[in-house]
Amino acid sequence: MTESGRAGRVRVGVDAAVRSFLREPVQVAVLLVLPLIVIEGYGYAMTAFPELPFMTESAETMGRLNGAIYAVAFLTGVLGLFQIISAQLADERLQLCGYSRGELFVTRLATVVAASVLVAAVSLAVLAWNVTVEAPLLAFGALAAAALVYGLIGMLVGAILPRALEGSLVLVFLVDADDFLSSGMVDIDTAAVELFPLYHPHNLFQSAVDGSLAGGRALATGAYLMVLLSVVGVVYVRLTGNGGVFGE
Amino acid sequence: MSSVARVSRAFEMGLREYARTPVLLALLLFLPAYFIGIFVFVLPTSELPIIVPGDGQQMVATAELYGVLLVPLLAGLIGGIAGLFLMQTASDADSRLVLAGYRPAQVITARFGLLVLASIVATAVALAVLSIEYVPTSVPIFVAASVLSGLIYGLVGVLVGLVLGRLAGVYTMLFVPMLDVFFLQNPTVDEKLWVATFLPGHAVTELAVDSGFSESVALDPFVQALAALAVIGTLATAAFYRATRVR
Repeated sequence: MTESGRAGRVRVGVDAAVRSFLREPVQVAVLLVLPLIVIEGYGYAMTAFPELPFMTESAETMGRLNGAIYAVAFLTGVLGLFQIISAQLADERLQLCGYSRGELFVTRLATVVAASVLVAAVSLAVLAWNVTVEAPLLAFGALAAAALVYGLIGMLVGAILPRALEGSLVLVFLVDADDFLSSGMVDIDTAAVELFPLYHPHNLFQSAVDGSLAGGRALATGAYLMVLLSVVGVVYVRLTGNGGVFGE
Repeated sequence: MSSVARVSRAFEMGLREYARTPVLLALLLFLPAYFIGIFVFVLPTSELPIIVPGDGQQMVATAELYGVLLVPLLAGLIGGIAGLFLMQTASDADSRLVLAGYRPAQVITARFGLLVLASIVATAVALAVLSIEYVPTSVPIFVAASVLSGLIYGLVGVLVGLVLGRLAGVYTMLFVPMLDVFFLQNPTVDEKLWVATFLPGHAVTELAVDSGFSESVALDPFVQALAALAVIGTLATAAFYRATRVR
């Protein structure tokens, strides 16, 4: 098959996924409204917190920054999970129609990337309403990276555990623990925290907001994304179309 | 068949359904252990001042404070997600039971029993892991507070499941307990925000913190938690009744 033929098939796949998402207006509303609720909710909740010595910003600002990261991570994480679960049957049929597993993966990935960019843009716009962002482009990149990290984790959970209740439980615990421990709300001195998916995007985002621009965090975030992308790609391609069993 | 026998049969069938999905059972054991274990391992032992309702201001280790907060939180998270999915499946399977002669109240009692069990399992696993690092001062009251948290959020999940779809429901049940228990009810805060008093996690978190660090536990929060359970339970029962009624 030619390259343009492949690109056309991927476009059709992405188009179908986006249409299926847009068919439920509540989901679209949630994607747009939830960042506002989460960011402002976290900011409001943190207004009562004491200012502790290790905090780099006011508690309220930290709440908003944390809310922005949390919103993008859990929105795309759950979206990635449900996209894989709901696409399970469709993917097997598309495979019968001639789609390769690689094309199916690219299709799902493109949808998650599109959702990550959208949610990051909405979240940054909401954040900028009350917080001065020194480097908006970098902040957008950090938010999109955090969204993509959890979008990929959602896809991974969906590929390994393609059941709504079980997959949701795993994601709930992963996101909640990761977000809180990466938030800077508690003074953690263990290096193990650097392995958490949101640690580097969170620090990169914070540096983009305060203008300190931590370039090393951008590299670490990029490396983390690349490794995760490879793992998710391999697992997805091996599992798709085999009824959840590793195959050719 | 007697009413009790019907409820026990429906409860047993619900249990069998869970037993048929060993992955879910494994997750119910592993996730609380992971959640508590990772926090207790990573958080520092440095001390923070907190307000304990029955004992005034105390200095407690950060890991112990968040360990104590985590048990009702994760009971709430598991209960909430379980309640949400219970509602999502209710309109299909449970409507058939009602059609076959069950009264909605019998189905509701059996499902409520499953929520109680999920909350007890989540609390037991979480407390077992926490006790490696720290044992709450008044264990029975702490357990009651955590199970109540699971039940209250389980019923909130039932209500959310009625209003929102699966995706939006999971978002809600992921975000609300975390914001409520960890942020708005956090005992490091001197003066809580007014909205904190009206949230489902208020009384149970106060009770958990009190029983976690004090021997003289005030009973007011316990009464408030039971009242919250009664109010949310009434709303959830009405919602469940509506979802399972025969049209």
